Amino acid sequence: MTARITAAPVLQVQGLEKSFGGLRVIESLSFQVERGERLALIGPNGAGKTTAFNLITGVYPVDAGCVLLEGEDITRLPSRLRIRRGLARTFQNIRLMPHLTVLENVMIAQYAHSPGLISMLQPVGFGRRNRWREEARGVLAEAGLERYAEQPAGALPYGIQKRIELVRALLAHPRVLLLDEPAAGLNAAETDDLQRALDATSARGVTLVVVEHDMQFISDLCDRVVVLNFGCKIADCGIGEIHANRQVREAYLGNDAEEPALDAA
Amino acid sequence: MIEQQIVNGVMLGSVYALVAVAFTLAIGVLNFLNFSIPGLFMLAGMVTWYLLKAGIAWPIAALLAIATGGLMSLVVERFTYRLMRHSAHFVPLVTSMAFLILLENLVLIVWGSDLQRVPVPFATLSIQVGPTVIAVPQLVGLACAVAAVACLDAVLKRTRIGRGLRTIAEDPETATLLGVAVGRVVPVVFLIGGLFTALAGFVFAINYQQASPFMGEEVAFKGISAMVLGGMGNIWGAILGGLLIGVIETFSIHWFGARTVDICVYGLLLAILFVRPTGLLGGVALRQARI
Amino acid sequence: MSGYLESLLVLLSINAILAYGAFLPMATGQLNLGVAAFAAIGAYSGAYLSNTYGAHPVLAAFVATAVAGAFGWIVAFPILRTRGIYLALATFALNQVVQGTILNLDVVGGASGYPVPAHIGFPVIAAFAVVVVALVFLLFHTRFGISVTAVSDDERVADLMGLSVRGLQTAAFAGGAALAGLAGALYAHHFNYIEVQNYGVLFSIYIVLYVLLGGTQTVYGPLLGATVFTLLPELLRGSAAWRYVIFALLVIAIMSFRPQGVVTGDLVRRLLGWRRSAQGSA
Repeated sequence: MTARITAAPVLQVQGLEKSFGGLRVIESLSFQVERGERLALIGPNGAGKTTAFNLITGVYPVDAGCVLLEGEDITRLPSRLRIRRGLARTFQNIRLMPHLTVLENVMIAQYAHSPGLISMLQPVGFGRRNRWREEARGVLAEAGLERYAEQPAGALPYGIQKRIELVRALLAHPRVLLLDEPAAGLNAAETDDLQRALDATSARGVTLVVVEHDMQFISDLCDRVVVLNFGCKIADCGIGEIHANRQVREAYLGNDAEEPALDAA
Repeated sequence: MIEQQIVNGVMLGSVYALVAVAFTLAIGVLNFLNFSIPGLFMLAGMVTWYLLKAGIAWPIAALLAIATGGLMSLVVERFTYRLMRHSAHFVPLVTSMAFLILLENLVLIVWGSDLQRVPVPFATLSIQVGPTVIAVPQLVGLACAVAAVACLDAVLKRTRIGRGLRTIAEDPETATLLGVAVGRVVPVVFLIGGLFTALAGFVFAINYQQASPFMGEEVAFKGISAMVLGGMGNIWGAILGGLLIGVIETFSIHWFGARTVDICVYGLLLAILFVRPTGLLGGVALRQARI
Repeated sequence: MSGYLESLLVLLSINAILAYGAFLPMATGQLNLGVAAFAAIGAYSGAYLSNTYGAHPVLAAFVATAVAGAFGWIVAFPILRTRGIYLALATFALNQVVQGTILNLDVVGGASGYPVPAHIGFPVIAAFAVVVVALVFLLFHTRFGISVTAVSDDERVADLMGLSVRGLQTAAFAGGAALAGLAGALYAHHFNYIEVQNYGVLFSIYIVLYVLLGGTQTVYGPLLGATVFTLLPELLRGSAAWRYVIFALLVIAIMSFRPQGVVTGDLVRRLLGWRRSAQGSA
């Protein structure tokens, strides 16, 4: 199934404001993402990218503004319900549950597309022929991670954990996937693998919003870029135009925006 | 006779205040709820009884009881905080609970479970202020409590150790980077707590002429309520909280009967935790796990 | 079966149920120092029913379980707004308040204790324990089991993954309260006498400690903890106080060297792994 670009943006953020104490962290932020698009969200450290993700997913309440998912206002929707509407994310510091196995970590996401008391009481622990375990094993196998299934997630190498986090987010069948620095800490080979995995995800119709510092990675993956600095949007354009943008260059003090950086953060 | 009740309450409260200071210091500096403190209180009280019964002069008994508390607190530090700083956050708390059980049961084995009468080797002087009677030993106890806290306040504000403690309270990880000898400073927190608690145990035993292996549970636990009421991590809050709890206890006995004390004192604790967990003087918000 | 062995197994059964009563909230990351209070509620409400209305003791036990669970559910709403140390303190305060309240209820004996003539014998108590343990094992092999560990590991992410953190914590808290209540009611009807003084915070502390000793990472740990705590006096023929001294030292030792408790997730995985490879896996 190819990505359909329709008229209605799948994710819209309008006039977001957020302050912590007296500090304005996000100021009047508006942008939108079309269905099937791949948007990069970039900016110097401290620009507010992760905060923007936190506002969109409901970790923090917004001070002003709104978040629309497929036209529906989710600004006041409790954070745990947003994943059920199709909004999933990965995290800057890997947040796998250390006391669960890889398989169990991934299975957590299954609740999102079949919530409720009956689902909560479904056996998952025994029987070799358990459909929840089978489904989870299947997606791990697709990602080439099946051999880690029974290992506790906390003890695995960084690169493997990152891939597991992606698999977990995808098992919730999201329509929009927010990725917070997915390539951070990965070597060149791992970054290529990630690129392929995200291409495949996008080809299945999932809209991607990626926060990243690795400009090469973003250039290869994304169609459009939104640039933040000090909580404000300073650019919103196609990936090709970003290098010419003076404000962006200034924001980065002339390093990354000149040449695409080849190493990850 | 309300004034007498208030006076009685304040005298009782000075004991709670000292215990509350010990609790609040551990919470404020180390983020650690030290459940062994009631055990130290009881130990000091029982040692006081034993020494006075054996005819030891009361100043010596005081010193020995307080020293016992201090020494025991260092043992607790060795086996709770020092060993487990890097484990899960509940481990020191749980181990301190084990110490409480250990101390209570060791005392039960050595001295049995009876409530002991503490022989007070001096006639109880009292002064009369209007219609109220104030027992001099109790007044001295109150004065000691306030003086001790004032000293502690000065230590925290003006000495290097005090600065070290406040740095650790702010951020334990960077404290080491900032040159604080954490390994030497942390035992000081325990030591001060142990000395304060032991002083409280001594004062209680002398003023109320009783000691039992259960006095930790029955008396010192209320120090927790006092700590929270005053504001966790705030030593003047501990004094205020202690005195207030003493007064509240005295009034509950007077108005509702002795059996209602726990409901009043701990019901208040519950209410504070729900409504205003930072307490009266607004203590530190405890460091929670990251969001 | 000798009377001595029988009363030992009764204690083991009751301690096991109590262990799971404490374990349920601890599995979601809440240290419940009010377990004893819920046991007291169960004991006293069950005893009251069989004394005043002549209810069959087993029926009284069921009702007592429901009463304790309902109370736990109601109390969970304000209590679960607190976290970490605050939660431990709130449950500590709750325990004292409940104990203090029962102390004032002369209708159930107040400070003098409450005799409970109706009797539940060993086989029934053992049956209850077996059923409870089996149910908890089953429960933790459902999605509830992994969800609860997820909440305990990382509340924020569990929430973002769609789990109802509050719902799970409330269910665990109320479920734990219900189990504690059941244990209390069974105790009351077997030993035929209850005293409110025994349901203080120290009792909660004992239960929490032996659960932690056994290990809270898996369902097997609490059972081991309860077994150790019950059998310890049998290995040391001293007084009750000595048993608690040894127990306290054991806890300190375990917390120093193996704070996750004796039975950890890894241990279970390894043991099950051996069995699977011994039987030949598919």
